Amino acid sequence: MDSSRKQQVAVSELVHPKGAIRSPARPLPELRNLRTWASLLVVAVLAVLPALSGSFLLYSLSLCFANALAVLSVSVLVRYGGEVSIGHSFFVALGAYSVAILEKHFGLGLWISLPAALALGFVAGLLFAIPSRRMSGIYLAVASMALALCLPELLIHMERWTGGFEGLYISRDLVPGVSKAGQRYYLALAALVLVCLALAHFRGSRQGMALLLARAHPRAAEAFGITRSWARISIFALSATLASLSGAVLAFASSTVSPNSFTLWSGIFYLVGSVIGLQGTSLIAALIGGGVITLIPQYLASAGDYVPILYGAALLIVTLVANSGSGLRRFLPGKAA
Amino acid sequence: MSALSALPQDLPPLLWSGLVSGCLYGLGALGLVMVFKSSKVVNFAHGNLAGLAAFLVYGFSSGVLLNLSWGSAVALALGLTAIIGVLGYAVIAPLVFKSDLTSTIATLGIGLILQGTIQIVFGAEIVSLELPIPSFGFGLGSLRITAYDLTVLAVTALMIGGLFFVIERTRLGIAFRAVCSNPFASRVCGLNLRLVHLFSWVSGAVLGLVAALLIVPTTFLSSTTVASFMLTAFTAAVVGGFSSLPGAAVGGIVVGIAMNLFSFYVSPEFMNTFLLGVIMLTLNFFPDGLLEKAAGGRV
Amino acid sequence: MQSANLAPPSPQPGALIAHGLNLSFGGIEVLKGVDLDLRPGLVTGLIGPNGAGKTSLFNCLTGLYRPTAGRIALGDTGLDALSPARRAGLGMVRSFQHMALSPDLTLLENVMTGLTLSRRSGWASAFLPLPGGRAETQDAQRRAMAALDELGIAAAAHLAPPELPPGTQRLGEIARALVAHPRVLLLDEPAAGLNAVETRDLTRALRRVMHPGLIMVVVEHDMDLIMQLCDRIYVLNFGKVIACGSPAAVQADPEVLRVYLGADDE
Repeated sequence: MDSSRKQQVAVSELVHPKGAIRSPARPLPELRNLRTWASLLVVAVLAVLPALSGSFLLYSLSLCFANALAVLSVSVLVRYGGEVSIGHSFFVALGAYSVAILEKHFGLGLWISLPAALALGFVAGLLFAIPSRRMSGIYLAVASMALALCLPELLIHMERWTGGFEGLYISRDLVPGVSKAGQRYYLALAALVLVCLALAHFRGSRQGMALLLARAHPRAAEAFGITRSWARISIFALSATLASLSGAVLAFASSTVSPNSFTLWSGIFYLVGSVIGLQGTSLIAALIGGGVITLIPQYLASAGDYVPILYGAALLIVTLVANSGSGLRRFLPGKAA
Repeated sequence: MSALSALPQDLPPLLWSGLVSGCLYGLGALGLVMVFKSSKVVNFAHGNLAGLAAFLVYGFSSGVLLNLSWGSAVALALGLTAIIGVLGYAVIAPLVFKSDLTSTIATLGIGLILQGTIQIVFGAEIVSLELPIPSFGFGLGSLRITAYDLTVLAVTALMIGGLFFVIERTRLGIAFRAVCSNPFASRVCGLNLRLVHLFSWVSGAVLGLVAALLIVPTTFLSSTTVASFMLTAFTAAVVGGFSSLPGAAVGGIVVGIAMNLFSFYVSPEFMNTFLLGVIMLTLNFFPDGLLEKAAGGRV
Repeated sequence: MQSANLAPPSPQPGALIAHGLNLSFGGIEVLKGVDLDLRPGLVTGLIGPNGAGKTSLFNCLTGLYRPTAGRIALGDTGLDALSPARRAGLGMVRSFQHMALSPDLTLLENVMTGLTLSRRSGWASAFLPLPGGRAETQDAQRRAMAALDELGIAAAAHLAPPELPPGTQRLGEIARALVAHPRVLLLDEPAAGLNAVETRDLTRALRRVMHPGLIMVVVEHDMDLIMQLCDRIYVLNFGKVIACGSPAAVQADPEVLRVYLGADDE
């Protein structure tokens, strides 16, 4: 319907006349510059913040950064895979508990447990994506729901390792002698900034572009040697690795892990954060998404029952606006979904 | 060895109660599959709506909201549930022909709103909701068959029978089948796609309500039991191939029995993990469901 | 009738040969003993009325369908068991009836995806600006730009496909198909959705990119494009090749005339 209308507009000139909606593939150069500068400014402000502010704000922000990473992991899956997962809490928990368990049972610090968490997240993502590799993404979403629901029972009943309801504490420093609040904050910030830079580079890479083609036209991608199973498995493994990283950072930044942080809803909340950030993989989008899902429950604690309604409305509104196909879309900086 | 020697004793009750609860999972799965077949949307709000519906029956009959008889409470809740089903469809109607991704996110949004409504109206408490049926039962070997079991089987048979009658024998059913097999062609032929979608959404909601009402007496009513029920219904749908109505019913029974066996012989604590395993194994080895032997035609 | 050369194809180095292709769906025979001999340096057209089996034949060549009987070979390599992705690895590329460019990539980047199989950079280069990966990306950009330039649409390189008219998008798809210097280019109704001017531009562009090493196969309804572009035409009807030869010979073939004028008003 939409495409046929576009085709009638077409004339034999190379480019549509003025008024065409700019596609996200190539933001205006000025806009891109603006974005870069804005990101640099944000990073600069965040970098000097610890000198100016109290430790509670720093703690809150560290959690924001960790959640922003989790939001990014979902956004990457949506943007490059066109898939939805509501079970990313599983991979986040995997990363978080890897750090906690390696410290508690093996006395290992973050220098070892962080890479281990990444590796575990990668393997888990791979194993999870393989069964549905040739099928529609719907099956992945359904399976991810099972992932989210089995997480609490695993955490609670594997008490010997996970500490059950109580959870575990993380107390080892990354760099001994530096203030605890400081190293938690800077580790989370550094991880977030580095991941955003890596993702920006990924967008122009061979693999990134192949995934974008496979998302839009799986059969065309197949004709250029990009198979659906390769696309599905690689993007999911990548996304799960990121989620696991986010969990490791979260565990270190909050110095505790417990099943409370990984309920049935956590995975859906990461998706909410991603949708609110318009599934962007930029620093700003991630911070908005991570900020919303961290701060709203914190500040609306008294009105906690309204949080699901608020989030649900956000999902609906953003999705409806992004797909309205009319003038409303012009208010969005990029294309959602 | 003791487990093996006790097998003739243990197995029949396990199979029987698995069959009974499996019928309910099948009803839940049928609603999912009907919606998916006709509108290609996986309705993640299905369980939340069923949960809300059960809470409404509780609210209307317990005095929390109203103080009606059980029958009137069910009738009122049924009406409201159907209306919510229509509203839910109306909200996502503009997204139905977009990507899987978009409609999935939208149904999750609806699910969250319904969930929040439950929490606000009924709080996070756990309530019990009994069926108004006599509590008789009789033994049959090592089996014990109760009025509840017979009610579930009868209601399931009635619902499935009614559904298949509508689909096989009425004009709406013919339109439904046509839309399921080729939405584009049926639109060209002048069939009202939206009407068919509404039919499937409302039927799904009603099936969900019935299943929830029947399952609640065996557990309790809380948001988490509904979430688990939803997962079981999804598993049943996957086992049945996700786009086959008979598959959904059979899938429900298979999953119900398998869950009973797992919980008795292995562990009752890792039920959802077991369901995850069932989903993964089905997707890997029977991507079109247990019933479908022929390959191809997958979505 | 000398134009209706139905003799089994003689082997020729590098040719795409189909021999005795049969295809049936649930008992309905869509292709019945089709022989094709598609030679490098020639543009071959596949035409026929609706339902003649053109698209089925095309899909057999690209690997989407497995023929029920018969063999397909590119040079000495049998293709029968190979998936579309594996055939791509042998230098067979195709275009699609419906525009199949990614809306999230610029036209240039879309063309670069045509080089995916020939690029070697690993996952480390995907996330880190390593020198090897950067050099490879620059090389890919250069080659993609050259392909766009050859088709005359270099000016649109940095625009996104939704901003471009269908004719430019189609040329972009062809640039993507050609950028890795394939041995076989299969075009599935390249003029679909294009207006007359765009179709004319497309025909010229396709003639321009033709070279002696390339096997070009076109399935198309637009007779102007077919007649101007093709060196050799196969006419299908009811799953059989009913004529084969030069455009002029095929146009003069009474059987072809009967099929086209008598059966269908295309």
